Amino acid sequence: MHLATLTFAPPLATLALNRPESRNALSIDLLRAMHDRTGELAARIKSAGDIHIVILTGTGKAFCAGMDLKQVLDVPGAPLTLLSLLSEFTLKLRALPAVTIAVVNGAAIGGGCGLATVCDLAITHADSKMGFPEVDLGVCPAVVAPWLARKVGPGRARSILLRGGLMSGRDAAAAGLVDHVVETREELDPAASALAAKLATGGPGALRATKSLLNDLDGSLDATLARRAAELSAGVLAMPEAQAMLRAKLS
Amino acid sequence: MIRTDWLPSHAAPRPVAVVRLNRADKKNAMTPAMLDDLCSALTTASQKAAAVVLAGAGSTFCSGFDLSLCKDDSRALADLLTGLSSVIRLMRDVRAPIVAAAHGAAIAGGCALLAGADIVVTHAECKFGYPVVRLGISPAVNAPFLAQAIGHGPTRDKLLGGQIFSGSEAFRLGLAHTLSPTAEQVPELASTFAAQLAAKPACGLIATKNWLNELDGAAAQAKPALQASLNLVGSPEERHRLQALWS
Repeated sequence: MHLATLTFAPPLATLALNRPESRNALSIDLLRAMHDRTGELAARIKSAGDIHIVILTGTGKAFCAGMDLKQVLDVPGAPLTLLSLLSEFTLKLRALPAVTIAVVNGAAIGGGCGLATVCDLAITHADSKMGFPEVDLGVCPAVVAPWLARKVGPGRARSILLRGGLMSGRDAAAAGLVDHVVETREELDPAASALAAKLATGGPGALRATKSLLNDLDGSLDATLARRAAELSAGVLAMPEAQAMLRAKLS
Repeated sequence: MIRTDWLPSHAAPRPVAVVRLNRADKKNAMTPAMLDDLCSALTTASQKAAAVVLAGAGSTFCSGFDLSLCKDDSRALADLLTGLSSVIRLMRDVRAPIVAAAHGAAIAGGCALLAGADIVVTHAECKFGYPVVRLGISPAVNAPFLAQAIGHGPTRDKLLGGQIFSGSEAFRLGLAHTLSPTAEQVPELASTFAAQLAAKPACGLIATKNWLNELDGAAAQAKPALQASLNLVGSPEERHRLQALWS
């Protein structure tokens, strides 16, 4: 089974994390699959020119539970590989010449919540759980920090990342972490479809040009920053204090 | 005029430090010596504590600079601006996260201190604002930090307009991050947050604060911002307007 799926319904494409039995936790294999699907998506956009809106979501109950901690602890060298793949994936997702919508169907935690902030827009329901509990585990959310700062502003990002923990979808909307919130899970998919349909009424050239300018203005595609973030995060993960916290969390 | 209390934590090896502006009879109006002491207190607190609360004694967090010192001596204003800039930069540089407890009022230099904090707790009725351009003083010293907190558009509105705004608006803008139900509960809520921060492993917290400092780049703009404020000190406009306060 593919760890990431890509389906087309022009002008819409849907990219889904597809590891529901692990709440779509980000493993090396899953991130490689996301890279592959996103590459295929970019190629389709370039060749056929019929995809203007992309939904990013998770199969099953969760959107994404964050990094696969088991893999991080058990496989030597895995943290840097995984964090680099994540950081590179955020750039690839941001660079897509189509409007991306994160449809946060359930828990979006750590790096998973980060993926929601990379998308151009995000929608969730009031009871989803979102947030960045990295500091609670002694690790540093370095890869997602620039994305959160671009989404909610550096001041709010500081407060959210240092306090850690999780918040409800409703609070995430109040903090600007998502742009739209509906009351229940049942209402989410129809609301997301309506949002996608509304966006699709925009001129494709105007959408692409506007997104591209916004990416230039906020420095989204800074590959050096993304690489340093992955190295920093992997460095903190390797510290004994962080290792002990993570092992305690898993046991 | 600065007082530090230590709150031991059962969940963390190191305590929380509560650093208070302690000049309640003057609504904690700041003097150059107070700002120097605040720098020393924050440095010590950050070395010994895992998290720091910055609070004000009495009815008010801080009413800003003690302008009575500047009436006949514009060097005092220069010292105050320089001291304020040093405190704000230090709040970012120290390893311990800083939670500001803004109750009653945080005006001018007092409001500026908040933009250096990592987390700001207030209440809906608290008064905020930078009413200083009418005195011929430029609040530019705080602009890089305020812009990171609330964005460049609202920063222009607040620094150029100088209007007083509420805790509710500060929360909506992102200058404050949590609203306490009452003014009295603000310090307690800030201490609770600080205790929660102190209980987290230091390695992730320190690395995260440092990375956020680097990402927002405000410290790199602090010097020219201070200079922009200093450039006006002693100008005929500032002298005239400040002295008119006492006429």
